[in-house]
Amino acid sequence: MARRNGTGATSKRLRKTWWGYPRENGDVGARNYLLLLSGTLYANPTCERVARTLRHSVALTHPLGRCQIGPDIQRTFETLVGHGQNANAGAVIVIDHHREEGCTADEIAHEIAKTGKRVEAINIREDGGAIDATAKATRIGMEMLRELTNERRQEVSLSKLLLGLNCGTSDTTSGLSHNKATGWVTDQVVKLGGRALLAETTEMMGGEDVLAAKCVRPALGKRIWRMVEEMEERILACGVDLRGSQPTGDNMEGGLTTIEEKSLGAIQKAGSAPIVDVIPWAKRANRRSGLHVMDTPGHGGESITGIAAGGSQVLIFSTGGGHTINHPLMSTIRITGNPLSARLQADTTDVDVTDIFEGAPIEVAGRRVYDEVLDVASGKMTKAEILHEDNAFAINRIGPSV
Amino acid sequence: MPVTAMIIEDGDNVATCLEKVAKGGSVRLMLNGKMGKTLKANQAIPYIHKICIKTLKKGEHCMKYGLSIGVASKDIKVGDYIHVHNIESARGRGDLA
Repeated sequence: MARRNGTGATSKRLRKTWWGYPRENGDVGARNYLLLLSGTLYANPTCERVARTLRHSVALTHPLGRCQIGPDIQRTFETLVGHGQNANAGAVIVIDHHREEGCTADEIAHEIAKTGKRVEAINIREDGGAIDATAKATRIGMEMLRELTNERRQEVSLSKLLLGLNCGTSDTTSGLSHNKATGWVTDQVVKLGGRALLAETTEMMGGEDVLAAKCVRPALGKRIWRMVEEMEERILACGVDLRGSQPTGDNMEGGLTTIEEKSLGAIQKAGSAPIVDVIPWAKRANRRSGLHVMDTPGHGGESITGIAAGGSQVLIFSTGGGHTINHPLMSTIRITGNPLSARLQADTTDVDVTDIFEGAPIEVAGRRVYDEVLDVASGKMTKAEILHEDNAFAINRIGPSV
Repeated sequence: MPVTAMIIEDGDNVATCLEKVAKGGSVRLMLNGKMGKTLKANQAIPYIHKICIKTLKKGEHCMKYGLSIGVASKDIKVGDYIHVHNIESARGRGDLA
């Protein structure tokens, strides 16, 4: 039986299993949601209406899917597919509006169906307009939920966990406390055969050598160097000083002086695990145990959206300033070691690791975070999940609207 | 009571003050959980901001985590408050490109 460790009390031995929903393709969900996935902005209200009607469903909406070109529309498409494929979605209804280009509900549903999960596509115009499409999706969704809610969690190994790692509103406490505790958790998850996913390319600037040294192949290290270089080239092409945007105003208020300082704190989340792959934004991570690295911007919402599309079921969001950030589909655990933030943002802080500054070893705080990760993966809701703080589905863009 | 300031790597130029420090206030350095010497802050230092623990000449790299976090834009003495007024990033500087 799963031990429910809500108090955060630590036992000598780390738990090696968690309880989730096994999927046909071998993935395991930490949640069993019905996902209402919008293919285009004009389908957003229909998705939201259906999700409001159906208990235990989640809507993912966005302003995109129209008048985008080339790699930009491809990126939107892959992001939507990645979310439909994420194991936290037990079944999916994709809704689009009329005739979309390169991002239709049918095409998205076709890719999601490859996981073996049940998926339906609805077109608002073909299905008789906003009200009839809502009714159709509601009926299909209700039947899907009857099946989903009849499934039971099963005990699975850590190898089935892809733990997302992201930090935000960083300050000087980040590199000293919560990112270090996160790094400790990364190491344990990887030692037990699991995977972790590090992201935020902007915050690798200045720490490339440290990350490259962790790579299992020199070619991966080169990819990290190249990825950071490309990010820096895009910044330089804007002709402005990065400072003020990175580090952000709140980073500087928190004592971080330069992007290099922010980066060296951020990469503490990697722990000492080997880097086994480096992947583009929103690409599905392969199954190899170890630390995977994804090319994402420093923008918190976009970065964790990329991570969710990569397949993460649970994410540690490690924050200096405290945060409300929460992905609607991927359970997001917020932790902080900053005593002031732990007090001011207690409403959305799931794990307090401020005892590090009172002399507690990193391992003591790390164990508390580890237990929370396994509890949340097994069904415990995070504070922001309970509060419906569904603020962090944000698709990254690489082209103009046309 | 002196304010504790954490050093990350031996040889770093800076330590992070765990409370705000008044001008002239004393700061006790800590490395790997061990308390070391006490310094005087030459200026007020805000909550969780940095103090210089090893002199920097203009143009020298400022070390934290044993790595460079930027370059000194002026000479910096031990006990000085270190932040954007005396350390500049060497990365992402489109304004200099």
